[in-house]
Amino acid sequence: LTAGDKIFHFGACRVFLSTTEIRAGFTAIKANIQSRDPIRTLSILSHPHSLHKVKSSDRCCITHQLFTFYVDKVFKHCRTEDPFVNRKISSIANSFLSVRRKLGQCREQNNCVCGEESTEKFKQILANYEGLNVTSAAMKSLGELDILLDWM
Amino acid sequence: VVPFLFSFSGELYCSLPNPRNVRFESINMKNVLHWSAPEGTGDGVLYKVKYAVYGVGKWIRKPECRNINRTWCDLSSETSDYEEQYYASVKAFLNGTCSDWMETTRFNPLTDTKIDPPMVSVSSTDRSISIILTAPEKWKRSPEEESISLLQVYPGLQYNVSVLNKKTKKRWFFSISNNTLVVPWLEPGTAYCVSAQIHVTTPVLDSGFSKEHCITTLKDK
Repeated sequence: LTAGDKIFHFGACRVFLSTTEIRAGFTAIKANIQSRDPIRTLSILSHPHSLHKVKSSDRCCITHQLFTFYVDKVFKHCRTEDPFVNRKISSIANSFLSVRRKLGQCREQNNCVCGEESTEKFKQILANYEGLNVTSAAMKSLGELDILLDWM
Repeated sequence: VVPFLFSFSGELYCSLPNPRNVRFESINMKNVLHWSAPEGTGDGVLYKVKYAVYGVGKWIRKPECRNINRTWCDLSSETSDYEEQYYASVKAFLNGTCSDWMETTRFNPLTDTKIDPPMVSVSSTDRSISIILTAPEKWKRSPEEESISLLQVYPGLQYNVSVLNKKTKKRWFFSISNNTLVVPWLEPGTAYCVSAQIHVTTPVLDSGFSKEHCITTLKDK
């Protein structure tokens, strides 16, 4: 256990995580990152299907998929001209790596399987992402971190 | 008659300075859009307001805030779903010309609202005081509507409680998750003052401290 750790329930998974650093890092750069995203009418995570509609039993699997999505697809395309912002992004990315590792272990131990609905939901997220050029998609996804954190 | 200038796209050509500092001010999720009048414009400026749910493809006009001369517009009803995020925008009009639409930053009711202090009620015996705390309610459209405590909105909600011995000036701090606290082993016939604050851990939100509630413990039997 580390400071700020809290138990999260993702379906069968019970994981001690600290999102405090992620949230603090995001809050520090939220205005900067969101101002780089001019598209109001499209969301990567929240439309057309809201994360809040994901069934409890699917939370374990889709949370791991979402963290993998951010680690593999998003952070590497989020360079800015601002060193402060870049430092915060890499700190968030490192936190994501350790959370994803825990989620992966938990998913394996509990054999979490994604149901049809959340598989569809995650496909939609990827489609939303691929619908934009990679830098815009990555910056928009980063600007939506609070949507993921609020849902967790 | 004041000639309206139209650009190629048929839109009104707008040369009025823009409304400034367009932002949401939110307390207990009563979400009110505020702005400042365009620079250098006296009286007579009128405004209209629109808003959008982030990720949904259309801007929606707010009829009650059309052609208004005040510089605020209550969008609590339109932004009451705190699982969504929002943008709002304001346009100014004066003497036949207009400003651009000026937008807020992205508004997240869950993280961007301010929380009022809790209500505090105190009772005492000769050697203890009992404190009951009540979290404020989320804004609601009408008194008849079902009340939602912010405790339901923020499951990680805690209370920080301060207890001051008025005689010795000694102060204790307590952090509790449930809403009652009994402070034992106090001195009889002594005045104690209690103040409390709400602390939410996820997302991190703190209210101010409530005003002090003082009570005197009963004299020794």
